Amino acid sequence: MVEQPIQKESWERPQGFIQTDSRVSGIIVYAPQKAAPQNDQTISYACPNCGANVAYDVAAGGVACEYCGYTAPVKAKSLGRSAESFEFTLETISQSNRGWGIERQVMHCDSCGAELSIPQGALSTSCPFCASNQVNLTVSLEELLRPRTLVPFKITPEGTQRIAAEWLGKGWFHPDELSANAILRRFTGIYLPFWTFDARIRASWRAQVGYERTERHYNAHEKRWETRTSIDWRWEDGEVDLEVDDHLVSGSDPARISHTILSKLLPFNLHDLVPYHPDYLAGWQAQAYERTLTEAWEVGKAAIREEAKNACYQDIPTHHVRNFSMTADFSDESWRYILLPIYLTAYKYEDQVYQIMVNGQTGTIAGQKPVAWWKVWLAIAAILAPGTLLILIGLPLILLGGVGLIPLVLGIILFVVGLVFSVILFNKARQSEAK
Amino acid sequence: MSTNKAPLTSIIEDTQTLWGAGRKSMGCLFCRRIFLVPHSSTESVCPICGRGQLETQPVRMRSAMPELILPFQIRETQLRSIYDAFVTGVWIKPEDFTTEALLTRTRAIYWPLWLVDCDVTGHWQMEAGFDYQVESTKEAYINGQWTSRKQIEDRIRWEPRLGELTTHVNNIPVPALEEHQNREQMTGGYPYDQAEPFSLQQLDQTLLEVPDLPPTEAWPMAIPRINKEVGEICAQAAGAGHHRNFAVKADYHKLHWTQFLLPIYATHYLDDEGQAQVLIVNGVTGRIQGPRLASPKRGLRIAGILGAVAGGLFLLALIGFLLIALFPPAGLIAAFLVVLGVGMGIAAIALAVWPGNWNRKQAGPRIVSRGQANENH
Repeated sequence: MVEQPIQKESWERPQGFIQTDSRVSGIIVYAPQKAAPQNDQTISYACPNCGANVAYDVAAGGVACEYCGYTAPVKAKSLGRSAESFEFTLETISQSNRGWGIERQVMHCDSCGAELSIPQGALSTSCPFCASNQVNLTVSLEELLRPRTLVPFKITPEGTQRIAAEWLGKGWFHPDELSANAILRRFTGIYLPFWTFDARIRASWRAQVGYERTERHYNAHEKRWETRTSIDWRWEDGEVDLEVDDHLVSGSDPARISHTILSKLLPFNLHDLVPYHPDYLAGWQAQAYERTLTEAWEVGKAAIREEAKNACYQDIPTHHVRNFSMTADFSDESWRYILLPIYLTAYKYEDQVYQIMVNGQTGTIAGQKPVAWWKVWLAIAAILAPGTLLILIGLPLILLGGVGLIPLVLGIILFVVGLVFSVILFNKARQSEAK
Repeated sequence: MSTNKAPLTSIIEDTQTLWGAGRKSMGCLFCRRIFLVPHSSTESVCPICGRGQLETQPVRMRSAMPELILPFQIRETQLRSIYDAFVTGVWIKPEDFTTEALLTRTRAIYWPLWLVDCDVTGHWQMEAGFDYQVESTKEAYINGQWTSRKQIEDRIRWEPRLGELTTHVNNIPVPALEEHQNREQMTGGYPYDQAEPFSLQQLDQTLLEVPDLPPTEAWPMAIPRINKEVGEICAQAAGAGHHRNFAVKADYHKLHWTQFLLPIYATHYLDDEGQAQVLIVNGVTGRIQGPRLASPKRGLRIAGILGAVAGGLFLLALIGFLLIALFPPAGLIAAFLVVLGVGMGIAAIALAVWPGNWNRKQAGPRIVSRGQANENH
């Protein structure tokens, strides 16, 4: 009961809120203040002690000056897999299709004032005039389609050289000069764009499932009891729930970076995800996505639905299956746009370009290695030679009515075995060069 | 009346001259409801609880006339079909549960409701919900081919909003009866927009139920209702489609209380125990609500008759079996009698049990009077 008007207590708008549009007169509405859209400003990295250029140092875990020893660790807490993910809102999909990042092709150097032309999608560079390291991506909470998290490099460039030297030295059918320092020194650390996808899938399958049945029957012709196996086919159905967590799809253009090699670098440990900070990119290259969210999601979905199909097959108690059909209902789909550390090099050998990549977090290496084909053919000839020789000895001996059968049979066996080994060797050599 | 105070009530000893309506105030000794009845009325039993005697008594009420009324749209002539449909649904019913009995006891009553208008100033906060859409997918694998179908799902994004307000709310319904919620559940909704200004002519012989919650006591119930309306206004201001966790700290000025009268028909029938079971009919929509009881006593009576017949059949069957040696077809007749006896026995059990089961399922809002509540305690 109100006997008299209560004096309105003084009220102050809480911090972080700003007045927003109200659709009813007399009502004032405050909403949380959103971070203002930022125009990307290039950040130049210079040492506060000696003025030399500084870069992110893997061993120091922060920006470091190689001249005076100055280090400043990056202040970022590890987010891991709890890093924020986003839904497939119609707005996001529309934004994704318009693209982001690939339009920025000019970077302003704060150190010397030069206007730098940078490759499409590059997020960082070094100024060719003053050699300062530049990062042109500041973090903005407003634009979803910017990298918000990354996995920092853990493998040092020196470590990468050791891994690569060891890997290049492996295998006798590669050119001897491969482990040359020239190739090893060309490794570039680059943050490549990746999309990660989460989803729940309810897969419902229906198929004819065959169950083996063993029965005994009397064979009147043979006049004895025999056992035979027949298959009973039954229509069955079932449901499988699948939870996909952080399915990785590359955001790079497959025409430029071999996705076959990239896939061999997986997995990355996403527990090491940290919030994006420009310091991580200082002195390192970084690439914005070229494959849009929707394009990447189509690739991801194709892989996930196959995973669901395999899960359905595993749900079927026998391996006799026919007329299989299924539906996969996706729900709670979400995505993240992240940067992952890769060391990358490309080199030419006999007019062919070869790529090698090293996982900058785990040190896993994969790539193409040229093949010294003369070594391969020599090895195949050596493998096939004993068999061929025995056949050549055995055949005339048979014609002469002697004991040629034994060397002939032995020769054929050795030849066939040699042939199998030769095919395996040939395929291995070819795969080594495959893009 | 526009004030920061709720209108006061006073004890009125003689209501005959009140509003010039020539009505006397009568209270039920059992349920304590008070009515303004026409002076010529010979009403003796409470029309709502059907149990207590009505006696003339002083009344504590606001002296002003009601301002709004929702006239009856269901005529008494239409009640027969409403009662018929209600009564027919019960198979073994109490003897008094008939359309005629219900019609005889039917009384037209207006029950009160407060409508509050006021200015509200203060500050508020809420979680505002904004609709958005996400794209989902459904993949199908048939004949070795994958097909993909996109689905759009609606979702709500919740964001904090807060602010200040200076607004006015109109016609906020506030209970004028303690049993308002129960009464509302029984009558269902009313088309408030069809309300008319009150005039004495509209009352005719209809009884008028007096508020047992005067504005001073109803005010605590009014605040959450006003705040709810304020929440809707604030959500609208924020452009939100939904809201939750609304909180407001406000001052309420220029209160204006309107008494609004809503029409019902009340009637009752007597169950097996002789207790009045009250039925309420919404005077506008015709919705009828109340306990629809079967008669366990009648059920047992019929079951007893059927049981006795079944027993007789079994006895005859036994004699038939004894006569098989003398007259072989007697066995066949005896078997038939056993089957008939078993059938009747089952029917007897069903009839004995069914009314009790039916009555247990008759949950739902019903008139509970203070007297009855005290009795239960």
